[in-house]
Amino acid sequence: MAEPRVNRRQFIKATGTGALATSIGANIIVPGRARAAKKTLKILQWVHFVPAYDEWFNKKLVKEWGDANDTEVTVDNIGIAGINARATAEVSAQKGHDLLLFNWPPPSFEEQTVDMKEVYQELERKVGKPIDLCLKSTYNPRTKKYYAFSPSFTPDPVNYRNDLFGQVGLPNGPKTWDDVRTAGAKIKKQFGNPVGIGLANEIDTAMAMRTIMYANGAHEQDANGNLTLNSKQTLDTIKFVKALFQETMTDEVFTWDASSNNRAMLAGKISLALNAISITRTAEKENPEISAKIQLTKALKGNARAIGLEHVMQCFVIWKFAENIDGAKKFLIDYTTNFRTAFVAGEFYDFPCWPKTVPDISKLLANDPKAHPPDKYKVLDDVLNWATNIGYPGYANAAIDEIYSTWVLNVMFAKAASGAVSPEDALKEAEAQCKRIYGKWKEKGMV
Amino acid sequence: MQTHLWEVEGKGDGISDQEVTSEVHGPAPARARWLSTFIDRPRRLGVVMIAPAVIYIVLVVGVPFFLALYYSLTDITAGSRTLHFVGLKNFAAIIETLKFQTALRNTFVFAVGSQILVIVLATALALALMKDFRGKWLVRLLILLPWVAPMSLGSIGWLWILDSIYSVINWTLQAVGLITPDNWPMYLGKPYLAMASVIGVHVWRLLPLATVILLAGLASIPKDIHDAAQVDGAGFWRHLFQITLPLVRPIMLVATLFGLIFASTDMIVIFVLTRGGPYDTTQVLSTLAFFTGIQGGDLAEGAAIAVFLFPMLLAVAVVFLRIARRTEVI
Repeated sequence: MAEPRVNRRQFIKATGTGALATSIGANIIVPGRARAAKKTLKILQWVHFVPAYDEWFNKKLVKEWGDANDTEVTVDNIGIAGINARATAEVSAQKGHDLLLFNWPPPSFEEQTVDMKEVYQELERKVGKPIDLCLKSTYNPRTKKYYAFSPSFTPDPVNYRNDLFGQVGLPNGPKTWDDVRTAGAKIKKQFGNPVGIGLANEIDTAMAMRTIMYANGAHEQDANGNLTLNSKQTLDTIKFVKALFQETMTDEVFTWDASSNNRAMLAGKISLALNAISITRTAEKENPEISAKIQLTKALKGNARAIGLEHVMQCFVIWKFAENIDGAKKFLIDYTTNFRTAFVAGEFYDFPCWPKTVPDISKLLANDPKAHPPDKYKVLDDVLNWATNIGYPGYANAAIDEIYSTWVLNVMFAKAASGAVSPEDALKEAEAQCKRIYGKWKEKGMV
Repeated sequence: MQTHLWEVEGKGDGISDQEVTSEVHGPAPARARWLSTFIDRPRRLGVVMIAPAVIYIVLVVGVPFFLALYYSLTDITAGSRTLHFVGLKNFAAIIETLKFQTALRNTFVFAVGSQILVIVLATALALALMKDFRGKWLVRLLILLPWVAPMSLGSIGWLWILDSIYSVINWTLQAVGLITPDNWPMYLGKPYLAMASVIGVHVWRLLPLATVILLAGLASIPKDIHDAAQVDGAGFWRHLFQITLPLVRPIMLVATLFGLIFASTDMIVIFVLTRGGPYDTTQVLSTLAFFTGIQGGDLAEGAAIAVFLFPMLLAVAVVFLRIARRTEVI
């Protein structure tokens, strides 16, 4: 038998010594590791849809603010899909970032967040009142607590192909939901381009369905937070969506994820979509030809009103266990006060919740050299008046959040539209789920 | 006397640890002797060597599992640290809901459907790979690739393959004239097509592992059994059903058990491809647990959904392993 070159004893000694050296080595080699640093501020937020925004925020804004406030600011960017899981983990560990940005209202985290009343008061003193959407997405009227703070939101306008709508008599796009139905059917029949409003388990569908509901006077809850889903208006809206699907769309919308409508629009396949301005911004960079054909229009009118939803709601929270609560509050106040810079850096993706922070918003929107034509985004200059929150006319709350996150309304509309169940049965099923969810969160004292 | 280390180990359990130590080393300084004693005692050293694996499993699998069990019996939410014991209330609440019942049914269809396909295809592949042919190593490598690739990346690749606009399958079918632009199949948009798609991707993912397991089983069948059957004039099917399959049944049961548990608890394929759609027809318990517990904030109910299948899977595991042990003949 051959003599082994390394026996067991030698192996364990060698690996043990190596492990020991590795564990203590860093402390010996880097003596400054244990030295106390200046104040720190840790921020966690999404990877912005506009890369230029992250570039500005991470490399310029936080550096300048950190220098001015003797604070070392670190920013961690993660994908939007990971935000809730990360927040849950931080709460569980009672450790994490000082500031965490949700892209939707986070009412179920209220117990763990610092009351933002001071931030709201200070900003009100500096720049005047915020819009209603901001308050409805961050305030719990039951506990009278501002569980989050919102500096901005992203509008969810209608993106339409003006070349197609022009050929069916609507050169300036649809103005009502009935326009979408009738013109969309003609376009599909004549040119083969369907309307592209998702009916899948994803956020754009969740927003679009609520937009149609609210425009037609249907709501999940009333202003006082009482469940009101089961109504004639909701049933009529389900029937409308079913007809809209059958006359203007294809099965494709059942397959979609949140970026599918962007891709379909940019591929020239669909005639209309509800989305943020990410579609038009991408077109400007990648496909100028289609960019000139995609135009925007304001919220469409339904039977009750013309109303649109926010597409993304920027809601910062400060954890109670955060290490630099005062620094986080100051950062929010400074960031919001100077929001005009963020508005420009984000290429108008994020609109201010505090209108006076961007006093020349109409002027900026009316002349954007990147846009085709330069005044493409002018239609958004009154968006602060018609954008609303999930849960309108009430406040966003934990029950609304769970209904949204488990796709209850998406499934209700999709089932009825596909013909899997009748509109009446789809509503009955969704109503039962909502009732249970509301009861549960009421019992937990969150609604 | 200097006895070789490996020879000492070969003497078996009959020799005591102390005897081994003194035989190997003779007199030595106290510290060195302690180390030598420790290293040369297989039982103690064995415990130390296996401890990292055990600690890892306890921390990464055991603790979260028992935490999930505990959460499922409380009213905890994602944003709350205070919790109260509520017994089986969460389980009673979810069982009544249509969403849960649909997810339970889908989980069963997804897990059983994918496992039937995995076992049939893996058996065929393993039998083919037992034969000698040119480029066999390359085929084995290609078959293993889906298992080696990260699941999320593989699923994203399939998302593009099945995409409503850019599906390479549909583009190819259109190019050869089998479909027209206005009748493209929407793989993730029709309930049955969507379920078939997620099952197909899951099979693609699990097939390599099942094939390798079955290959090991086939390779362990003594050659003389095959030779004897051939002499007796057994044909391919008789050989397969009366000799090969009965002999690999124990290992096949283990592969099936692993696949069933994996399919019942994994959420990546469905989360990436359909998120439970169209209209919850591919919603399974693992995705519903995620949407309810993490996205919706009701951690307790999410945990109840997640651990609901545990008793059933445990029972299935016990039954499968018992059958496997009884049928072990190799």
